[in-house]
Amino acid sequence: MSAVAALGGLRRASWRLLRCPAVVRCHLYSSQRTFRASAVVSKISDEQKHEPPSSSSQQHFETYPTGDQPHQEPRASRPSYTGHGGEESEDYESEEQLQLRILTAALEFVPDHSWTADAVAEGAKSLGLSVAAAGMFNSDGSELVLHFVSQCNSRLSELLQQDQKLVQLGQAEKKKTDQFLRDAVEARLKMLIPYIESWPQALSILLLPHNIPSSLNLLTSMVDDMWHYAGDQSTDINWYTRRAVLAGIYNTTELVMVQDSSPDFEETWHFLENRIADAMNMGHRAKQVQATGEALVQGLMGAAVTIKNLTGLNQRR
Amino acid sequence: MEAALRGLRPGCRRLGGGSGAPRLRSTGAALGGLSKQLLDRIVRVDHAGEFGATRIYAGQMAVLRRTAVGPLIQHMWNQEKEHLKKFNELMIAYRVRPTVLLPFWNIAGFALGAGTALLGKESAMACTVAVEESISHHYNNQIRKLMEEDPEKCKELLLIIKQFRDEELEHHDMGLDHNAELAPAYSLLKIAIQVGCRAAIFLSERI
Repeated sequence: MSAVAALGGLRRASWRLLRCPAVVRCHLYSSQRTFRASAVVSKISDEQKHEPPSSSSQQHFETYPTGDQPHQEPRASRPSYTGHGGEESEDYESEEQLQLRILTAALEFVPDHSWTADAVAEGAKSLGLSVAAAGMFNSDGSELVLHFVSQCNSRLSELLQQDQKLVQLGQAEKKKTDQFLRDAVEARLKMLIPYIESWPQALSILLLPHNIPSSLNLLTSMVDDMWHYAGDQSTDINWYTRRAVLAGIYNTTELVMVQDSSPDFEETWHFLENRIADAMNMGHRAKQVQATGEALVQGLMGAAVTIKNLTGLNQRR
Repeated sequence: MEAALRGLRPGCRRLGGGSGAPRLRSTGAALGGLSKQLLDRIVRVDHAGEFGATRIYAGQMAVLRRTAVGPLIQHMWNQEKEHLKKFNELMIAYRVRPTVLLPFWNIAGFALGAGTALLGKESAMACTVAVEESISHHYNNQIRKLMEEDPEKCKELLLIIKQFRDEELEHHDMGLDHNAELAPAYSLLKIAIQVGCRAAIFLSERI
């Protein structure tokens, strides 16, 4: 336990160190949005009293090793991908922002360095920070992959939202559900193309036990977005089956895509089309089975009433 | 709008965005500052409750259709169907996930309705009284919670819940008027059903 805390302390210490060049940047950045932030600042001003402003970070660094750091609760030093509530101080805010900026910058170096700490270090360097910034993140590149996936998801939902607006304004025709889903999955998968060489590695990182909750969360929210913009109106158990089927289609198509060597991933899109058609057929068949079942039940009930009438059991007294 | 903001400057979102909204879930049309989780829970459990209620009345109707209380049960059933329809709409508008237990409530509700109806008219009414009492109690709790949170922002939801609460209480009174208390083992039946309802509410809020 104390080892973990010590590690947290170390991480934080390294963070403080490398923060020095970042401070100037952050101040510039913050002055731009002073207006908007002023409300937040006033709310959290008392929190900040415990925490001297970031310019004195050097001093901070010196006090940490001598102070009883295992008793201090380590601040969350990695971005959370599952969401969190509550107010945090302005200090924390910019720390998270910086992490996201580093990760975004690191994406550029993924084709060369794959999903590793090296790519993160390169990204930090390109922002003018120390390469030690990579120490803020897990060395296996989990944060980088998760950040990329969540970025793609929000890009997709923006895209779908724009499409929806066009349809509402009458500038585009409303697509049929299968067409819509196919286009959505295709658009989402196309975002992987720049990284396709190293994507198998990213997939394996996403499947690491400690990443599964976050990656599942990202997958379900993506599928939910697709169905939402496809105009899904189900409020029963279909809600779940639809999302499960689409998640299955997305994942299998992703696997096909990783192994696809045809030009422009033609085979992948062909595969996707077939899977969507299968799913639609399955839906129709389920409906037919249900209708047949209902007709059968009604027939049986009718037969029962007839028998009751014949035997005189149905007489009212 | 929020999504666009998030896309442009991922880190800045929380300055302007809602405080409690999970970061990566798309929030849909969440009500202003009302936390998404609270809204989710309210809509999900109310949807499940109204669904269960329609199933209970369906079970009662299957048995008591041709008796004197048939039209009364039909009237209450119709009102519950309206409620369910409203919550279906809310569920889609706020992008709330329905509870996983719906297929179970489907069977359990029908069985409860048909089972009590088989014990007689009075027992069916006792079941109505017990269920409606817990539902209106539960609606009252929700109203209190929403009033604490922000009565202005969730005005629409508050009005809906208040109206439904009043109608559920009407059903409760109708049940009492039709001799619910004459049912065999009335208090035992009522307690058993209400414990079941409370468990159902607890589960439907969460899963």
